[in-house]
Amino acid sequence: MTWLRLHLHAFVEALRRLLAQPLGSALSVLVLAIAIALPVVAAIALRSVGAATAHLDTDPHVNVYLALDASDEDVKRVGTALRNHPEAAAVRFIPREQAMAELKSTTHLAEILAALDRNPLPHAYTVRVRTTETARITALREEWSKLPKVEQVLADFEWSERLGRWVRFGDRALAATWLLLGAAVAFIVAHLIRLQVLTHREEIEVSQLVGATAADVRRPFLYHGLLQGLFAGAVAVAAAAALAGWAGYELRALTPSYATELKVVFLPLMETMAVVLTAAALGFLGAWSAVSRELRHFARRA
Amino acid sequence: MIQFSSVTKRYPGGHEALRGVTLEIAAGEMIAVTGHSGAGKSTLLKLAAGIERASTGTVVVNGQNLGALGETALAILRRRVGFIFQDHKLLYDRSCHDNVALPLRIAGVAREEVGKRVRAALDKVGLLDRERAMPVALSGGEQQRLCIARAIVNRPSVLIADEPTGNLDAEYARAIVDLFVSFNQVGVTVLLSTHDEASIARLGCRRVSLQSGAVVA
Repeated sequence: MTWLRLHLHAFVEALRRLLAQPLGSALSVLVLAIAIALPVVAAIALRSVGAATAHLDTDPHVNVYLALDASDEDVKRVGTALRNHPEAAAVRFIPREQAMAELKSTTHLAEILAALDRNPLPHAYTVRVRTTETARITALREEWSKLPKVEQVLADFEWSERLGRWVRFGDRALAATWLLLGAAVAFIVAHLIRLQVLTHREEIEVSQLVGATAADVRRPFLYHGLLQGLFAGAVAVAAAAALAGWAGYELRALTPSYATELKVVFLPLMETMAVVLTAAALGFLGAWSAVSRELRHFARRA
Repeated sequence: MIQFSSVTKRYPGGHEALRGVTLEIAAGEMIAVTGHSGAGKSTLLKLAAGIERASTGTVVVNGQNLGALGETALAILRRRVGFIFQDHKLLYDRSCHDNVALPLRIAGVAREEVGKRVRAALDKVGLLDRERAMPVALSGGEQQRLCIARAIVNRPSVLIADEPTGNLDAEYARAIVDLFVSFNQVGVTVLLSTHDEASIARLGCRRVSLQSGAVVA
């Protein structure tokens, strides 16, 4: 009971200190919130890009185009050869009629295509390969172009490799941002709490004289740091959500112009909570380091 | 209750405030420490209260060797010793009630209990009607009594007072001395420093004289 009461006292005291200087506290929380909101917004942006590109198959594909005069027999033979190949993960046949229909529906070339007296497109196979190595894919290209009635083999994998690199670059840049701004939050809180400790110097001294332990002195400051971090995390998440909604409105309006659905993807609930809790933990840590350092100074002065 | 064995206190910079002090204070005893300013009276009291540590020698309070205690244990021990500071050490940003309540809040005493004990302590020193007042509104003598109320609110078995009658006029000093006598009569061990002969006479207790950090009588 005593333990609970001590924590309740410290918590109430921390709230009292926050409310004692409403403007100062609000500004501190705002500064922290901005620092936290930056990586949150970056994470939302990355997620949204990820969602927009998720349906793009980034695994390397090799397209095998047959000659225009290939017979049904030839088509079957090439198909069997590809399906039996150990490097082929999946083989999809695209008949020339289907290719023509797709071209008509996804582009604005319908009129031109309609003017043609015959289908200029060949039958094709799209092969998803197991390897991502450039050398292996080049070898497959060589090998498959030698199959009878195969006109052309195209391997378009460089762009997917590049996209993958961009995504990984984004992830790393985000991780670095988290790290830097997380440290900034801890340092800012440490500084704010240090000022608080100096403001309460007399109270700390008298409390220690009448029997307060280091833990007793530290407790309200730790709650103060924790609350600042918690509030800042909540404000940051709310601000990021508002920003995402605002930007997302424009993005949705753009969707019909592109083949893919564009939308802002907010962080899932667990991650949102993790952001807020991490902010609180950083506030706690900052407060801990500041109070411990100042308490050592007190000990030396006494 | 309190034993000093060959206690020396050396401050950073080399000043020796106490030299080889050996002293025994029995439970329920009252002792007046006298001497010129700078003789080491305050240092002796602070060592007995666990506010400072001896450089060499041992200080034992209530069977506990203070030199062997860690910082936390020492802080806990301070809760059981009431100390009245020469410069009061009151917090001027809060009411008399909150000043007296501080030791209880630190100890985690329940709110209802805090109110009761604070009022009892304030009543004992005659400040019950000033409970809501701020310390700056009190006279010097009243501030001294407020400091005494804070020292006794934890019901300590030892009361230590550093020049409690300094800067007070004779009538006020007598009232304060009588207060300590009354505490001693109910079994509290009292250790106080003073250079006021009238107060010592009124206390009618054993006296320990310090000179340049050593006990001379």
